[in-house]
Amino acid sequence: MGLGTEASSVAETALLANPLREGTRVRKTPAPCSIVIFGASGDLTERKLIPALYYLAREHLLPVSFTVTGCAKSPYTTETFREKARQAVQSHLKIPASEAPFLESFAQSLFYISDDFGDVKAYSLLDSMLDRFDRERGTGGNRLFYLATPPSFFPVIVQHLGRAGLAKTRDPEKNWTRIIIEKPFGRDHASAQELNRTVTSVFDEEQVFRIDHYLGKETVQNLLVFRFANGIYEPIWNRRYIDQVQIAVAESLGVENRGAYYEEAGLLRDMIQNHVLQLLSLVAMEPPARFAGTAVRDEKAKVLRAIRPIPPDAVNDLAVRGQYGEGFAGGKKVSAYRSEPKVSPSSVTETYAALKLFIDNWRWADVPFYLRSGKRLAKRVSEITVQFRSVPHLMFRDAIEDIIEPNVMSLRIQPNEGIAVRFGAKLPGPAMRIRPVQMEFRYGESFGAPPPTAYETLLLDCMLGDNTLFNRDDAVELAWELVMPILDRWKNDGERDLAFYEAGSWGPAEADRLLQRDGRRWQRL
Amino acid sequence: MLAPLQPVLESPREVDVEELEAELSALWRSAAEGASGQRVVTRACALTLLVSVESEDAAWEVSNLIGDVTRQNPCRAIIMASEPLARPGGINAWISTHCHLPVEGEKQVCSEQVAVVARGDSVRALPNVVLPLVIPGLPIYLWWRAPRFEPEPCYEDILRVTDRVLIDSGRFPHPALDLPRLTERAREAGIRMGFSDLNWVRMTPWRELIAQCFDPSELRPYLARVKKVTVEYEKTSPRRSAQEAQAWLLAAWLGSRMNWDPAEPATEASDASRTWIFNSTDGRVEVRLVPREFVGGGEGMCFNITLEAAGDPPARFSLKRGPEGICVTTQCAVEGREPVSRNVRLEVLEEIEVVNDELKYLGRNRVFEQTLAMLGRMAGL
Repeated sequence: MGLGTEASSVAETALLANPLREGTRVRKTPAPCSIVIFGASGDLTERKLIPALYYLAREHLLPVSFTVTGCAKSPYTTETFREKARQAVQSHLKIPASEAPFLESFAQSLFYISDDFGDVKAYSLLDSMLDRFDRERGTGGNRLFYLATPPSFFPVIVQHLGRAGLAKTRDPEKNWTRIIIEKPFGRDHASAQELNRTVTSVFDEEQVFRIDHYLGKETVQNLLVFRFANGIYEPIWNRRYIDQVQIAVAESLGVENRGAYYEEAGLLRDMIQNHVLQLLSLVAMEPPARFAGTAVRDEKAKVLRAIRPIPPDAVNDLAVRGQYGEGFAGGKKVSAYRSEPKVSPSSVTETYAALKLFIDNWRWADVPFYLRSGKRLAKRVSEITVQFRSVPHLMFRDAIEDIIEPNVMSLRIQPNEGIAVRFGAKLPGPAMRIRPVQMEFRYGESFGAPPPTAYETLLLDCMLGDNTLFNRDDAVELAWELVMPILDRWKNDGERDLAFYEAGSWGPAEADRLLQRDGRRWQRL
Repeated sequence: MLAPLQPVLESPREVDVEELEAELSALWRSAAEGASGQRVVTRACALTLLVSVESEDAAWEVSNLIGDVTRQNPCRAIIMASEPLARPGGINAWISTHCHLPVEGEKQVCSEQVAVVARGDSVRALPNVVLPLVIPGLPIYLWWRAPRFEPEPCYEDILRVTDRVLIDSGRFPHPALDLPRLTERAREAGIRMGFSDLNWVRMTPWRELIAQCFDPSELRPYLARVKKVTVEYEKTSPRRSAQEAQAWLLAAWLGSRMNWDPAEPATEASDASRTWIFNSTDGRVEVRLVPREFVGGGEGMCFNITLEAAGDPPARFSLKRGPEGICVTTQCAVEGREPVSRNVRLEVLEEIEVVNDELKYLGRNRVFEQTLAMLGRMAGL
């Protein structure tokens, strides 16, 4: 659940006024609402949204009268949609037979409209259906639209919602209307700006929830707690004590069956522009005044604004791209990217990228931020490592044989989420010998309960009106602005400077050289 | 050989009471020495858990549950068994570790357990043995696993350093007598420490579902116009006293949240049902607790709860336990409208799951304290 508690609407405030909810430890439940999913017959709905909604309903985190309306062209009936939902829950959550009554009860909250939502006429039926739910099911005039369609449909659905009057909140004193837009939000700076213009011409920015599921991960949220709920880190969280920051998001999988998408996107668009820059902004931002949507998002945007732009002629000095060739994954031989289904045999799409960035502000001046992400790397791991400066003077002359490693703090996002600190310790014995040791905290060891999935967290946050973990228009555009010179340069360069790496390795040697030039190296993950 | 995934209790080893601290240090030293082999051990501790039981047998019974606590709440667990009537007097102590493997192939995580059994006059020395063993700087929880919360005077020193006490009114033999007594205890203790009732916590899903009935803004006004509350609870199962206590707590919770004022002492009918009359801002409210049989109740808690509210049109809100007691059907019925019903899962939590959950809270639970205060008024205290 998001950390923000900004009162987003009168509806939530009124909910809090229920005296039976006061101080009951009872988890927050959103106000009654209708959820409308566009792209309801698609993969995302089946794999993520329906299981997440079922989980929330089963755990009674949804209001009594919640209603889900699936919208898509596929010629389903409401009963077909319900059956698909039952199957999706069974297959993705593997629920026991004893849950049949909840699943059935959940299914009865689902409805379906088969129509062409590229045509404005379809929206009048949707409008009347939502009205009927308000009257008959008590959904209270609250609406959540979820765009789970391919991105090309986003503008037209948004415009039609506007024309049909569905984007307007009926009575702002009592109701809310919100829209969740899936990533990718644009495919470059211009298209992101254009989409933002379209969306904000119909919805107010506070109604818009741009989802990046990475931000819903428990450990990503914990970054905020780690930094701002503990007093000991803030004094050393700056250029005076920190030598460098590395952010790695490594995947062991290849592009699987997403070759066609990946050919269009590439790693920089798929990972760096959103997930990795989001992590960077959380690590580097100033303390927000409050843990609330606006305050947190303001500070994140400030970081993105302060990142030194990469001039086109410096791209090759500050960025490395790579593409995986043949190799091994999980002990099995795997094919090169160019041999993946729906990938061009002469593709120059990057499956690996490494960047060196600087944040030009007082806190971070001259501290390099090294980012790397790739597919088919040695293992799946996401980690932020903060390396502190070495001691200014080494008084242990006898320990000169030992390598005195600088202190490193590792924030592991996945898997084995946790935090580790490396420091030097004396080896037992008469001689002064120093060895690096690690002090570790792991979530799995300290908190046994499995965290909710990112979609459960984010869906609930949106219904509660908490936008802390969602992207704002300016942040999306700033992130695109930052990567555009790199994308443009790589596009122009074609295959020149595209480094190839063996699948199952840690990426191309060129990425190592990016750090070696600075006398540094990638942290072992 | 891979270590097991389930918590493992290493065999308790009896140690000299005076050497307890030294023995605990030695325990971890030997684990670290073992680390040069294949098995690597991490020591984890986030709190001190004191467990008070009334006999040595009860100590070993709870010892088997501690492994499930340490998996979620790594801690130093100190089980204190006091047998004041046992002869001869004396104190014995055992130490052991609970280990589990969070991820296969990773390090084992171990927590330590101390069991202290005091007999006869030596019961008075229990705090002297236990207090040096609490982990400095970490929260201290006292799990009172005895039928009543009536600590011996010697426990005063332990209660003074305790952050939160966990009791279970589900173990009270006579809820109608014992709950009001607990009210007084909590009033005395609540000033300096938190107070939890596991039996109250088990009711959280029910309270959550009742609250949800009144979330829609158009239904919220009915809450102030509730005229009749009926709580039916299971009368035949071994859990009867636990359920009776829960029914009392539920009625007191509603009364305290709604600022109802008990107008008359309870009346008890021949079917053992109890009825209270409260004054509310909207007139009189009748609250009835009715014991009855639930056929096929399963392992879950068995309640039927109905709230009837006046209005134009009037409305009725009900929660009924479903098949096998693992499901609740909620219904909001406003006269003249189609009722809105749904089935939701009823979490039936084992004792240890409730304890684990409670160990995540440290502060005082004001709502529970206010509920107990209302319960005291309902009992005429």
